[in-house]
Amino acid sequence: MVLSQREQERYKRQIMSFGEEGQERLKKAHIFIAGAGGLGSPVSLYLAVAGVGTITIVDMDVVDQTNLNRQILHFDRDIGRKKTASAEEKLQEINQDITVNAIDVNIDESNAADLVGGADGIVDAMDNYPTRYLLNDVAIAKEIPLFHGGIRGFYGQATTIIPGTTPCLKCIFPKAPPVEVFPVIGVTPGLIGMVQATEVLKYLLGIGELLTGRLFIWDGMQAKADEIRVERNPKCEACGEMLMKKKTARKKK
Amino acid sequence: MRSVWRNVDEEENSEEEEMTVKIRFFARFRELLGTDIITDVGVGMMFTSLITTIVKKKPEGYAAIFDEDGAFREFVILMKNGKRVEIADAAKTPVEDGDELAVFPPVAGG
Repeated sequence: MVLSQREQERYKRQIMSFGEEGQERLKKAHIFIAGAGGLGSPVSLYLAVAGVGTITIVDMDVVDQTNLNRQILHFDRDIGRKKTASAEEKLQEINQDITVNAIDVNIDESNAADLVGGADGIVDAMDNYPTRYLLNDVAIAKEIPLFHGGIRGFYGQATTIIPGTTPCLKCIFPKAPPVEVFPVIGVTPGLIGMVQATEVLKYLLGIGELLTGRLFIWDGMQAKADEIRVERNPKCEACGEMLMKKKTARKKK
Repeated sequence: MRSVWRNVDEEENSEEEEMTVKIRFFARFRELLGTDIITDVGVGMMFTSLITTIVKKKPEGYAAIFDEDGAFREFVILMKNGKRVEIADAAKTPVEDGDELAVFPPVAGG
């Protein structure tokens, strides 16, 4: 997939980091972003400007005034509009050279796999665990990575899940916490979203050390980052069976 | 597992019976309980009983971590020196000198 003159110019400064071949890889890539909210906003914007060729972003909500402290894809004028309409417009405006599919639907068991389609990876920008577990299942079934992020107030967490190699979301968090209206300040999803987006880019480019087997934990109040080593649960209900199969044949992208 | 976690009070190892353990809470638990709690424990102390003792002093923190029956809420993640401890095993998991215990909830927002 050849870069146009405009693209070569546009991405010049990052091509310095990973070359035209890397940029072509990004152009070829398709990333699925589940959620156009606090995490989905910064993740999608930065993947768009980085030149990820196809971005599918899914959300079922309408922009509400209370979203605007953190969901930077959406502006005052978007209140009452579908988040997908707002997202598509902004992402396409910030980079006309990429393809944006914005899908206005609730991700559920019946449609999750179809929605993800042939994407190269899934970004977890959800606000609840039941949907996260669904995305986890889809990532395992399709053997594509799940870039997990979660936030609350000034706290956040992130990890990169490579099915068959790393612990899956269920290995790390077997039980969902209770549903709540969580406090949040925009800088936290901004920071965690950047961790996720960085992971996506590194994965697509095949460079660096991924955040695998480690849970990154951010405490914005203390300005402290920690990481906790996480391990696969051989009896995991989501990925336990995969462990057996993977032992013999490991497929690497 | 980070080396800083383990270095705490290494020089005190020589003391008999008295053991020093570090407890770290994260996210909401940290807001309610603070973190990096360094405490002396006697020989034979178990994970669950130690956390219960520490947390009991703060009812709101206690209610966040334990249910009405005094058991860990099912979503709580327990770690000892960077390794997962299952809730079911925590009551009989001994804590030893220099151990670092972590207690945290999954963070759900997005």
